[in-house]
Amino acid sequence: MLSSGKMNRIYDSVEPRVMDDDILKLAVGEQGPQEEAGQLAKQEDILFKDVLSLQLDFQNILRIDNLWQFENLQKLQLDNNIIERIEGLENLTQLVWLDLSFNNIKVIEGLDTLVNLEDLSLFNNRISKIDSLDALVKLQVLSLGNNQIDNMLNIIYLRQFKCLRTLSLSGNPITQTEAYKMFIYAHLPDLVYLDFRRIDDHMKELAEMKYQYSIDELKHQEHLRQAQLEEEQAWRVKLEEYKMAFVEHLNGSFLFDSMYAEDVEGSKLSCLPIVSKLLEVYKDKFVIICLNIFDYGLKQQEKRKLELNTFNECVQEAIQENQEQGKLRIARFEEMHLLNLSAIREESELLIIEKKIVECSEDISALFNVLMTLEMQLVEQLEEAINMFERNITDMVDMFIENVQSLMAQCRDLENHHHEKLLEISISTLEKIIKGELDEELPDDVRALFADKDTIVNAVGASHDIHLLKIDNREDELVTRINSWCTHLVDKIHKDEVMRNRKRVKEISQYIDHMQSELDNLECGDMD
Amino acid sequence: MEVLKEKVEEEEAAEREEAAERAERVEKTRPAEVQKEEATLTQEMLRDLGKQLLEIQMPTPAEPPIVTKDTVDISNLPLSYKTNTLKEEHLLQVANNFSRQYSHLCPDRVPLFLQPLNECEVPKFVSTTIRPTLMPYPDLYNWDGCANFVSNFLTRVPLPDPLKPPSHLYSSTTVLKHQKGNCFDFSTLLCSMLLGAGYDAYCVNGYGSQALCNMDLTREVCPLTVTPKETVKKKEKAQPKKYTIKPPRDLTSRFEQEQEIKKQKEAKAQEEKRWWEEEEEHLLEAERAKPDPLHGLRVHCWVLVLLGKREVPESFFIDPFTGRSYSIQDDHFLGIESLWNHRNYWINMQDCRNCCKDLVFDLGDSVRWEYMLLGTDKPHLSLTEEEDEGMNDDNDTEDLDKENQDKSFDMPSSWVEQIDISPEGLCQCVFSAFSRTIPGLQEAFETHCLNGKKVLHYRRAQLEKWAPYLNSNGLVCRLTTYEDLECTKILEIKEWYQNREDMLELKHINNSTSLHTDYFRPGHPRALHVHSYKSMEPENDRVMEFYETARVDGLIKWEETPRTMTQYYQGRPDFLSYRHINFGPRFKKLTLTSTESNPRPILKITERFSRNPAKPADEDVAERVFLISEERIQLRYHCRDDYITASKREFLQRSEVDSKGNKIIMTSDVCISFEVEPMEHTKKLLYQYETMMHLKNEEKLSKHQAWESELEVLEILKLREEEEEAHILNISIYDTKRNEKSKEYREAMERVMHEEHLRQVEAQLDYLAPFLAQLPPGEKLTRVQAVHLKDACLGDFKQRLIDKANLIQARFEKENQELQKKQQWYQENQVTLTPEDEDLYLSYCSQAMFRIRILEQRLNRHKELAPLKYLALEEKLYKDPRLAEFLKVFA
Repeated sequence: MLSSGKMNRIYDSVEPRVMDDDILKLAVGEQGPQEEAGQLAKQEDILFKDVLSLQLDFQNILRIDNLWQFENLQKLQLDNNIIERIEGLENLTQLVWLDLSFNNIKVIEGLDTLVNLEDLSLFNNRISKIDSLDALVKLQVLSLGNNQIDNMLNIIYLRQFKCLRTLSLSGNPITQTEAYKMFIYAHLPDLVYLDFRRIDDHMKELAEMKYQYSIDELKHQEHLRQAQLEEEQAWRVKLEEYKMAFVEHLNGSFLFDSMYAEDVEGSKLSCLPIVSKLLEVYKDKFVIICLNIFDYGLKQQEKRKLELNTFNECVQEAIQENQEQGKLRIARFEEMHLLNLSAIREESELLIIEKKIVECSEDISALFNVLMTLEMQLVEQLEEAINMFERNITDMVDMFIENVQSLMAQCRDLENHHHEKLLEISISTLEKIIKGELDEELPDDVRALFADKDTIVNAVGASHDIHLLKIDNREDELVTRINSWCTHLVDKIHKDEVMRNRKRVKEISQYIDHMQSELDNLECGDMD
Repeated sequence: MEVLKEKVEEEEAAEREEAAERAERVEKTRPAEVQKEEATLTQEMLRDLGKQLLEIQMPTPAEPPIVTKDTVDISNLPLSYKTNTLKEEHLLQVANNFSRQYSHLCPDRVPLFLQPLNECEVPKFVSTTIRPTLMPYPDLYNWDGCANFVSNFLTRVPLPDPLKPPSHLYSSTTVLKHQKGNCFDFSTLLCSMLLGAGYDAYCVNGYGSQALCNMDLTREVCPLTVTPKETVKKKEKAQPKKYTIKPPRDLTSRFEQEQEIKKQKEAKAQEEKRWWEEEEEHLLEAERAKPDPLHGLRVHCWVLVLLGKREVPESFFIDPFTGRSYSIQDDHFLGIESLWNHRNYWINMQDCRNCCKDLVFDLGDSVRWEYMLLGTDKPHLSLTEEEDEGMNDDNDTEDLDKENQDKSFDMPSSWVEQIDISPEGLCQCVFSAFSRTIPGLQEAFETHCLNGKKVLHYRRAQLEKWAPYLNSNGLVCRLTTYEDLECTKILEIKEWYQNREDMLELKHINNSTSLHTDYFRPGHPRALHVHSYKSMEPENDRVMEFYETARVDGLIKWEETPRTMTQYYQGRPDFLSYRHINFGPRFKKLTLTSTESNPRPILKITERFSRNPAKPADEDVAERVFLISEERIQLRYHCRDDYITASKREFLQRSEVDSKGNKIIMTSDVCISFEVEPMEHTKKLLYQYETMMHLKNEEKLSKHQAWESELEVLEILKLREEEEEAHILNISIYDTKRNEKSKEYREAMERVMHEEHLRQVEAQLDYLAPFLAQLPPGEKLTRVQAVHLKDACLGDFKQRLIDKANLIQARFEKENQELQKKQQWYQENQVTLTPEDEDLYLSYCSQAMFRIRILEQRLNRHKELAPLKYLALEEKLYKDPRLAEFLKVFA
């Protein structure tokens, strides 16, 4: 664009500046608190991470740099520089307001972490495509005037920003298009201001009528996509739930199918009509057992959840009650302590003061004892409860494992039974083949299995082994996972309790220290 | 005058003696106490007693306005009131027979109350006077509603003779109309309503205590003073959950605890005993002071509700005067002679020595209850006792039974008209529990009913009730509670108001503490709810409570003592929940001339905030204290969720000056803080400085708000005073009688309607007008002219009638001709016609025939009516005021 070129040429002649500490410090100092507060600020130095707003315009900056310390920055102005790329803003996650107008930016990028951004200005740059804004879900104001956007499809991209109210695109090639405004009215129905003008409701209606078909189609597509996403989400949640119960993929024929997935011989043999019939019966039975395991697993999961919830509730109640007691004690103490302190302050007799101070410190240590006793008591109580819970949950897990194992044994029995039958059939088929009595045509690779007795027995045996291995694997997986879950849970509970205890003890001692030091200060003050 | 009085007294004395004598006869139905006394009674003692009685003032009203015959307008009563049907006659005979048998068999008992006269002096059997009626109001569906209504609606009239049942028993309709009656009238009405509502209710004729008969509640505790027992619902102790932690071991001695509890219990019991004893003494003393010489002789009538129907779990009595229910064991009910409902009549054959306590209300038991009519629906409850006891009493009852040969004889239906209560009467009696008025006009109420006021005396309490709108300040009820039994020392006064514009509902004045408490309904301009105070002067002890939803600032309570002011808030966006201000003594102003307010200096402001969930606990202030005199500010923050200590911060506001005289802005000891979790940025002086600046502003704001709040209270006080003086009453827009506006509107509407009607009458056609118009205007008619006018008018009318007849005739003929033509055409072309044409022809014919027939009918009718119409007009003309005097001669 002509105008932007002109603007930037002025700065081209000057040496580009580097964003170093000095520039930043200077800017922070200038824009920080003034007068009395300013003096204080100077005394102490302002930390970059406390700065909320920063203005760096007309500095001839080429590269954004050194901003990583400004963690809490909310407003950043970098307009009227010669920046070419958006970069170095990753750490500024609290940013709400970003001004990059009058620069030489060509591509929108590097904004993926700025999830809180509401106002973005890229006015007068060299951008040709609206892109990479997906993370900016809170975006309200977008200024893209005087750029090189020339495709209407860019507008459709903006449909995903539900909060977008103000958009400026003036000075772009697309504004030359006749239907530019109508297109935007129709496709961004929540927009209130376009190019700094309020959108007329009547025009909006007209536009909607005009583009009704295309918008309906768009909506339909969006809707479909949404539905699909939701479905996937629901499925994932369900699977997660089953995984938590350690019985995922057991509510159907997954296990059975997986048994035959790697079993070449087995699937070859199933070509035999008798075998396929047998297989069907076998599959049905197998799946029923799988479903049993599945249901049982879900039920057990429910039980474990309930148990855990009860436990958590009880623990929370106990802690809450203990806290209430602690607070009560402290409140009572503070009330008394305040009175004592003011009495000391007003007292003039040194002896009495000393006596009173001693009394006070005795009170403080008494409070310490009380609080610590409370805490120790709670620790003991919780320990008991935790141990009980541990016992119960382990018992539950053990029982679950036992029952699943017995069900798995049924599976194995079924497999063994099937194996025997299969072997029988295979041998009889072999005999038939040898005798040449076989009626049906067999595929070559199947017939190859029936070369001699050893081959067929081996093949059937191999298939059987694979099946058993699959079943065993599934069982092992379940047992290991539930055991590790159980250990983790118990460990976590213990660890949490220890952490809680430490935190509380630290808190108490900190408080007591503070009280004591306050008293000591008072003493010193009085001695003066 | 004096002589007359003496005479009256003598008569009274004689009456009492007679009563006492009669008491000897009544043995069975009298309680034990009287019997004991009676054993030693001699004639002299009786005379003494008579004299003593003279000195006792009977607490009956001076001259009770009894509904005498002359006030009952019997002319409008229906026939059933004035005569008896055959069946009723029969019933009366049966009753007579029954009565004779009874007096023969039980000569020592008083005659039965069977067939009193009604308002038309016709004897009616008591059961037929009961007319079961279900009232169409939901409030009158339950017994308590009915009882309340009866007691509030009717005014008690004492029995003409307190020892005898009345000679007359009026119908409930008459009683309702006059709104007064004795206990029998009360009970009959109440019983009718209860039976209608499905209760198993009976009227009871028996003996009551003096208090009961005279509606003397002075020994009763006023129901309004009894604080409703707080139904403390024991929270169901949650089942201890599986992992509930065990409580720490209790190391205190259980034995010691038990001993302690025992001691406390003993002390409490003793105290209670003492209290009871004192109370008892009081009561006994009070009772001994005026023993009732006629105890057990006073006739009373009340209602018995038996268990069973309407899910009544236990039988009970209702005293119709007060509408209160009593247990059937109650001491006030001393004996029962008989009871009846709309179906039957039963005599009590049981011993009443021990009041009603031993009575068994098994009406099917013919040994205990002698019935009058057979074939009642009362089931026999105790089957086992029937046989052995039936033998003993056979000789008593058998004869009576035999008389009731006509087993299928059932009670004739009631002679009383439908009992009707107007909604207004109900409205004023039931909804406003404290008011009692006549349905209908206020004036009627004021003239008839003791000036719309009712006073009830209770034990240590007096209850006054007024009709709504009677008092100009809206007072409807006043309860005065006394400290002593003699009702001299006022303990507290409660006044209930209604329809006040300032929404004042209840005023409670505690005499001992002189604490006034006003309660308001929602709708006060300042959203006031409760206002308690000792004096209306500002800066005194005072509590104001507000309807918090009606206030923008969320203030719910405002308390003041001479030195402090406390405000409680709820639901504010800044989470302020409490503000407490301590004032110092007011500085004496030297310039007394200025009338400006001289605010008291504020010493301390304490503000508490509820948790703001949007902020972290460490930054959310829970309490801040501005110690203004010490120039200190204390902050206490909220406690974090799993912590027991909270951060604190204290600012010293003293501005210090360093050695060079420069102002030191901030030093590290200005702010002393304790932080639960030490943070870096709060250590900074800048942060502390900013916080302090912010707090200074807040302090100013708080001061300002406190000042504003004080002003507002002053305003409220002023408003209250104005309201007290003005006491305007609100009138519901639905209250058409009292609402002036709606009355005016209604009247205006009526006027408009009336005018409309007049206009319509005027607008009726003047048949003379066209002829009068031909005459020269403004001149009086001459006789010739009048005759001419008449003739012209009649002639014209005649012509019109003839014209009309001709017109119809012409049409008739035309139609006929056309039909004939068509028929001719048809006959000629019959052969060549298509079926469609034929159909068309046929339909035409039927239509034409129809038209011809109608025309014919019209013509005939016109011929019939025309002469009549002519005559009518002629008559009208003769009567027309404009022509009448001229035409008279011709008539």
